[in-house]
Parts: sequence; C-alpha cells; structure tokens
Amino acid sequence: MAVASMSHGAIAEHEGADQLYVETRALRLQGFLLFLVSDCVLFSSFIFAYLYMRNSGQGWPPPGISRLDVSLGALNSVVLFGSGATMHYALENWKHNNFGRYAFFMLATILLGSAFLSGQAVEYTHLIFVEHVTWAGSGIFGASFFTLTGMHGFHVTCGVIYLTILFLQSVHGVYTKDKYFGLTAGTLYWHFVDVIWVVLFSIFYLI
Amino acid sequence: MSATAVHAGGIAGHIHPEPQGFVRRYIFSLDHKIIGIQYLITGFVFMILAGLLAEVIRTQLLHANGGFVSPDVYDEVYSVHGSTMVWLVVIPLLTGAFGNIIMPVQIGARDVAFPWLNMISFWIFPVAGLMLFSSFLMGAPVAGWTEYPPMSLQAGPGTSMWAAAIFLVGVSSTLTGINFLVTIYQMRAPGMTFTRMPLFVWAQFATAPLLMIATTALAAALAALFIERQFGVPFYDPTKGGSPLMWQHMFWFYSHPAVYIMILPAFGMISEIIPTFARKPIFGYKMIAFSSMAIALAGFMVWAHHMFTSGLAPYLQLPFMIITFIIAIPTGVKIFSWTATLWGGKIHYTTAMLFAIGFVGLFTLGGITGIFLAAVPFDLHVHGTYFVVAHLHYVLVGGSLMGIFAGTYFYFPKMSGRLMNETLGKWNFWLFLIGFNGTFLPMHWLGMLGMPRRVPEYDPQFQFWNDFASISSFVMTFAILLFFINILWSIRNGKKSGPNPWGGRTLEWQVPSPPHYYNFKNIPTVFGLPYNFSQPLPYKGLEEELTDTPVTVGAH
Repeated sequence: MAVASMSHGAIAEHEGADQLYVETRALRLQGFLLFLVSDCVLFSSFIFAYLYMRNSGQGWPPPGISRLDVSLGALNSVVLFGSGATMHYALENWKHNNFGRYAFFMLATILLGSAFLSGQAVEYTHLIFVEHVTWAGSGIFGASFFTLTGMHGFHVTCGVIYLTILFLQSVHGVYTKDKYFGLTAGTLYWHFVDVIWVVLFSIFYLI
Repeated sequence: MSATAVHAGGIAGHIHPEPQGFVRRYIFSLDHKIIGIQYLITGFVFMILAGLLAEVIRTQLLHANGGFVSPDVYDEVYSVHGSTMVWLVVIPLLTGAFGNIIMPVQIGARDVAFPWLNMISFWIFPVAGLMLFSSFLMGAPVAGWTEYPPMSLQAGPGTSMWAAAIFLVGVSSTLTGINFLVTIYQMRAPGMTFTRMPLFVWAQFATAPLLMIATTALAAALAALFIERQFGVPFYDPTKGGSPLMWQHMFWFYSHPAVYIMILPAFGMISEIIPTFARKPIFGYKMIAFSSMAIALAGFMVWAHHMFTSGLAPYLQLPFMIITFIIAIPTGVKIFSWTATLWGGKIHYTTAMLFAIGFVGLFTLGGITGIFLAAVPFDLHVHGTYFVVAHLHYVLVGGSLMGIFAGTYFYFPKMSGRLMNETLGKWNFWLFLIGFNGTFLPMHWLGMLGMPRRVPEYDPQFQFWNDFASISSFVMTFAILLFFINILWSIRNGKKSGPNPWGGRTLEWQVPSPPHYYNFKNIPTVFGLPYNFSQPLPYKGLEEELTDTPVTVGAH
C-alpha cells in the first residue's frame, strides 16, 4: 500500500492526476478493508480454537498454571488504546494541515506502540522464566496464549514499522493535504490492531 | 498525463503503454488476460499430474490384493491426488484462470483493480504446487486431502511441506478474492448495474468473499498444524490437551465453502453457455444471480455435516442437516432455470454446449447424492465408504471439471482467436461421459455394500465393479488426452474464429479475439441485460472496437 501511495505521489505532478487519485482511492480503500476483514478471520479462527479448547478441558486455567496477571495486561491495554487515540489525532491534524501536531501525535503513536511491545516482552519473560509457562511445554494454555498474543504482537511490530515508514514518507512530502491514502490505511490498520487487542485482553485476562 | 490519453470510463482511463519485452509481456505480466492464461496452463499441468496419480489408484484397485504400489505409497498417491485436484487444479482454474480471462472484459473494465496483486497471486501458485509435489521426496502426506490429526501429526516430514504449500495457495486465493471483489464492485462499465451483470460475473462475485474469508480460516488451521508438527506446540494432539476434532471444525469451516468456490464459477460459465447456444434469454436471471449469493451465504453454516460420525452432539446434527437440505433449494433453482432456458430453444449442439448439458445432468446426480449424505441416518451408514467418493467425484468431475471443459471450448476462441476442433471435441465429450459414468457410477453401490475408501486392498466380492471402474477410468483418461491434443492442435491449426464465433452477447464477444491490451478503446455504456437474443445489443460506444488499430496510450 505504501508503494502504491508513493507511485501516486509521483503521478501527482501530472495534470489530471487528482481525478485519478479520487477514483483509485476508493479501490484501494476497499481493497485494504477487505484485507483487514480476512486478517480478522485469521484471528477469529485462532480465537475460536482457543475458546473451543478452553471449554473442552477441565477448568481454566489448567491445573498447575496460575491466572494471568490482570494488572500488567491492563497497563498494556491502556498504552495500546492510548496509541489508538494519538493515531486518530495524528490523522485529524494532517487533514487540517497542522504538520507540527501531526508529527507529535504520530511519534507518540510509534512510541506507545513500542511501549506496548516492551510490556509484552516483560510479560513473556515473566511467564517463561518465573512461571515456566512456555509455548510448547504448557499444554493448550501455552499454545493458545503465546500463539494468539504472538500473532497480535507480530501485527503490532509490523504496525510500528509501517507507521515509521509512513512518517518518513510524510516528512519527505509524499502525502499532501488532499492525498494521504497511506495515512488513512495506516490509521485503519492501527485501529484494527487495537480492536483485536480488546478481544484478546477480554478472553485471556478478564474471563 | 497527455491530452491524447483515453479517459472514458473513469478509473479505466489510467493506461500504461503495453510492455514490449518478452519477460514483462508473458512472464511477469500485469495483463489480466495473460495472467489468466498462465493460470490455465499451470492448472492443466497439475491436472495431468493429478490425473496420472488417479490412474495409479485405479491400477492398484484392478486387483483385490492390490500389488501395483505398496500400501504406503498408495496413501501418498491418493492424498496428493486429492490435494492437487482441489487446490492446484479446480480452484485456480475456475477463479484464477477463467475469472481473470473473462470477468474484467465482461464488466467492461480494462484490467482488475490491483494488477500487481494479481501477478503476485499467480506466481505464488506454481511455487506452492512444486512444494506440494516435492513432498514426495521426503514422504508425502498420507492422511488424505483432509489430513485429519492424529494421523497427519504422526506422518513424515512431507506433511509439513503439504501444510506450507496449501497455506501459500490459500494466500494466493485470498489475494485473488480481494482483487476480484473490488474489481466487480468498483470497476463496472457505466450503466452496468448489479442486475445487468453477466451471470459469470455474478458467480465470481459470490465466490470472491468465500475465497477471502474461508481460505483465511484454513490458513489458521494449517498454521496450527505446521506449528504443532515442527515445534511440538499442542493444538490437535489429545495426549497434550489438544483436540483432533478442532482440526475437523476448522478444516471443514473452510472446505465446505470451498466446494462452492469449486462449483459457483462453473455455474456461472454454464449460465453463459446455455443461453448462447439455446438462442434464448436466460430463464430467471435474477433467481440465478441471487441463488449464487444464497449458496455462498448458506455455505458457511453447514460445515459440520462432514462430521456426523466424529462425535458431534445430536442436538447439533439436526440444524446442520436441515441447513444443508436448504442449500438444495437455490441449487435446484439454477438447475430449473437452465432446463427452462433449454426448453423450446433453438439448440446448437457444439462441444461446449454438450459439456454444459452434461454438466447439468451429472451435477444434478451428484447434488442428489449430496442430499443423501446430509441426512444423518444415511450418512452414518455410508460415511467413509466409496459412496462418498462417488458423490464428490460427481460434483467435482461431473460438475467442476465438466464446467472447465465447457468453458475451455467456449472461451478458447476468445483467448487464441481460433476455434477448437469440433470433431475431436465430440469424441472428447462422449468418451469422457462414458468413461466418467463407468468409473464413478459403480462406486455408489460399492459404497452402499460397504467398501471403505482409501484402502489399497479390498474384499474380493468387489472385484468386478472395481475392474469395471478402472477400465472406464482409462477411457476417461484417453478422453482427457484428446482434450489436450485438441488444444495443442487448435492453437496452430484451428479455424480462425473472428471476434464472435458463437453469437454471444456479453461484452467479451464484442471485442477482437484475443482482446487488445487494455480490452476497450472506449469503455462502452451498458443499458440492458446481455441475454435478450433477437434484440439490438444493449451497448453504446463500441463502434470502433473491431478495427485493428491499438488503443491510444497516454504519454506519462
């Protein structure tokens, strides 16, 4: 998506490209939303698998494993939801041509995303080295927890890299006040990752 | 963009010059027609390989004690045969090949929405196919195309290769689904409302969400299988707390919609071929279109009918049985509409039409045995027997593959500018029809009598009908050989077809064969359904299409 946006930055110098941008924007937006839908199905399948296994065993968490620490998860959630808010303000400020505030909120989003990943690293370290809960060695608890949060963490990592690229692009003038599809896509992706975390946090920490 | 650029029809105004180098033109092409033909050729190559595997199976079963290959090799052969036919032949041919070649022209677009994505989805597919076949080198999968754990967990390293290969094909399918959905939704020619779309486009429109959503669910199941096999993370192994039943749920949540991926585009092609050769408006256009959507939607709610013997709670079996029965209604609507279109028509018995009529008959038979299998008490009796093999081959060979043959005979002139040989074509059809029924019809009663599927040896009382099936399958193979000979012969020696050899009325027949690089000089305006034979064509702005001057291209 970023590549497509760059090529359209180049086309923007030509006359008549605005019309083209308007027309292809709808295509790319729809394509990107459909990509998010299929990604959502991927998560849903694993979530289904987790709930299925959780309900077919004897009680949860399985014997010998303590419940997850809600406070650490909650702190991490606040960080991630906060980054969703800053992402929203970044895009709004871009739309209103306020580059300084855009840059502030964008960098804040990237930092908060990284903070979330660090929090997850702390949690993983605690689980693996203190509680000895591992991916392969702790039955379905380890399998489902590490696979799902790992998948989500991978998405956040990709998101942080993606937002960094978008930020560098915007600094180099790839996007304008009227043409910023890359930023819209980045925002959508980031909110998507947020929403997935709402579900994961609920099913792993709260219930 | 210079002033000479063609800018009719919005998005389609964005034109790059046609690449001249061989690699960019024929290998890493962005042109949907070339990509479609790449899919077609690759799919046919895999079809030959899978067909050879099928003949290994039938040769083994010539004798009650087997003896042609060892039981282990036999397991590998039928597993790879099934996987290849489903993921490397039928799905890519019906969506990637015919969807790409025909659908964008039919909606009056110059290309699909994301040509780069289209190229990437194609190139994933042969790589994945090679991976699947390379699994033979390290012990191919042995648990059938369904790969139920725990057997798939215990088999050799080829099963991991299988999972990775199918995962990749799934990525390719998902990308194709997204691409087609956006193309159909956004890039139709002006005036082409949803209820003016050709029925093949409707079929692709119903298939695309299945490709996109169901395939991703399979990707999750495959990823979990791969992880469990490689890293020992328990998902399916019951001794470590996993559940083998979960694989069945996730697998069939994909694979039941996948059977509609494998049949809906064929329905679409049949809906194009039958009115064209009956010279009559299609009966019940809207009903055919909406029934595709109904099938696609209901297809997500029936997966557990594959699992009646897996230990499902009885209160779950009943709804799955009933919803499965309900799918027979939209399917029946289509069969009825095709029959009603033929009724009183001036039927031209070309090879494409013969295959289309054969499709209607054989698919109906396969569909009816499908209703049998959906009934819980009957399914308990025949589950895992040759009755299931007969059913699935009637819908997949008698249905999907017949549809692919019909579509190839029908659209070959559009791809190559030449007609396929009709005499060879008729031999091809009749031998295929006889060979097919001789192979799979006896499997119904073999299954009813209790012959289990996937066995290398069997009770000698079944010998006669197995021999009958095997010999018929050689006839069928010969017919498919004729099909490929016909293609190869016709590419060089076929009669020149001109733009519209069949008198078709959809947009693809109004442009030269093969169409120009960007399909249309001017995007036409559509003001009616394409199927009203004997009335003027419902398009404006097509006057210049059939001359040979290429599209004027913008200078950017």
